[in-house]
Amino acid sequence: MADTFSERMIDLKNVSKTYKLRAGRKVILNGATISLPWRNTAILGRNGAGKSTLLRLLAGIEQPDTGTTTRHKTISWPIGFRGSFHHELSGIENVRFVARIYGQNTEKMIDEVEAFAELGQFFYEPFKTYSSGMGARLAFGLSMAINFEVFLIDEVMAVGDERFQRKSKKAFQERLPSSRIIMVSHSMPALRDYCQSGLVVHEGHLTYYDDLEEAIARYREINT
Amino acid sequence: MLRLTTHIRVIFALVLREARVRHGRARIGYTWAIIEPVLLISTMTFLFGLVGKGGKGSGFALFFATGVLAFQLYRNTSTYVSMSFDQNRPLFNYPMVKPMDSALARTVLDGMTHAAVIALVLCFQVFALDAPPPNNIPLMILAMALLLSMAFGAGVSLAVIRRFMPSISNIYMVIMGPAFFVSCVFFSLSSVPTLYRSVLAWNPLVHGVEGFRSGYYHGYQDADVDLFYLFTWVVVLNCFGLVGEWLTRFRSV
Repeated sequence: MADTFSERMIDLKNVSKTYKLRAGRKVILNGATISLPWRNTAILGRNGAGKSTLLRLLAGIEQPDTGTTTRHKTISWPIGFRGSFHHELSGIENVRFVARIYGQNTEKMIDEVEAFAELGQFFYEPFKTYSSGMGARLAFGLSMAINFEVFLIDEVMAVGDERFQRKSKKAFQERLPSSRIIMVSHSMPALRDYCQSGLVVHEGHLTYYDDLEEAIARYREINT
Repeated sequence: MLRLTTHIRVIFALVLREARVRHGRARIGYTWAIIEPVLLISTMTFLFGLVGKGGKGSGFALFFATGVLAFQLYRNTSTYVSMSFDQNRPLFNYPMVKPMDSALARTVLDGMTHAAVIALVLCFQVFALDAPPPNNIPLMILAMALLLSMAFGAGVSLAVIRRFMPSISNIYMVIMGPAFFVSCVFFSLSSVPTLYRSVLAWNPLVHGVEGFRSGYYHGYQDADVDLFYLFTWVVVLNCFGLVGEWLTRFRSV
């Protein structure tokens, strides 16, 4: 894999994001300015530091209170196992919807997801009957069927059995020439498997490390 | 331009999806959405026909049908649209799917459904019950378009208020119950005494319902029907809804 320090992925400029809570405000980002290069990046931070919100900001689902986010690459939705699936619709109907909104070839995408997710007859059953592993396989297979330049992964890689994890890794490695990953996980082995650099979220600030190990060291520091 | 085609693609996908979801996974699927109101309106027309002898005699069935069709178009669509932000929340996880797309998709779907229901009920009246054919179809379509636009504006406004106050839906239901009796569904505006007429005319739905009828009937007494007044409501509600949605986006998650 050619390293791609020089290609920009996402720029944040003076981005602030807070949530109103019943008791006061929760600050997620406080005037963060950062330029992320197009590399496999782990997002690290304590529980509730705002990792998932950061993914949503990067995806463009949420708008910052102030500042701007600029995306230089095509970016997936945050892929998590809670998913964005309708519970009454079957797997195949959910796939069809996503194919339509992304303007993909519906039939081709259905075939690819069906082969990857290995749901068997459940592909035609309502999503509410799925186990969480099946939901994760559908979510991951669905996103892999679209050629995003950046995949936003929220914990999902760490679920599923060993065979599925191997399969996910292989599928992702096949995409490495044209795709990168931004990943949220509490599992250091999973992060080391996929990522080379790290982004630490702490008390409203973002710090980017070229070397994942430095990011992990910093993360350990703020956790003690 | 690219953004516009994306929106159209998203709305199209949402329309198909809503049509699939709305009546569960029943085998007959969306046809039920059309059969149900046709049956409901037929039953109501029959019952009100028995009670409302003082009305228009044998022509009361058609009179009531035109009223209830126009009224339901507004009430059902506005309620359906008001729930769109909440019920489609998981979909906003896809960056290009915006809350307004789901409100528009529901308006498109309900508009088409009601158009089909209206066509079916009126055809039945004309061909099976020997009712007179419609006189001015463009005027009927105009009244329907205004009612549908108002339903969209009201639905979005309610959805915006729901972001802060979900109980607004209960209040809306309480309002829409009596509204059935003061929206000229089973009496005409011209039959109301002058004193009450000017009060009743504040209700914008009166003008939509009566406008629809004055398109259907030849020589309908529509001196007090003011579609421009209805249009004012359309503009106000849409402005409130669209601006409100834009200002309260931070509450969308």
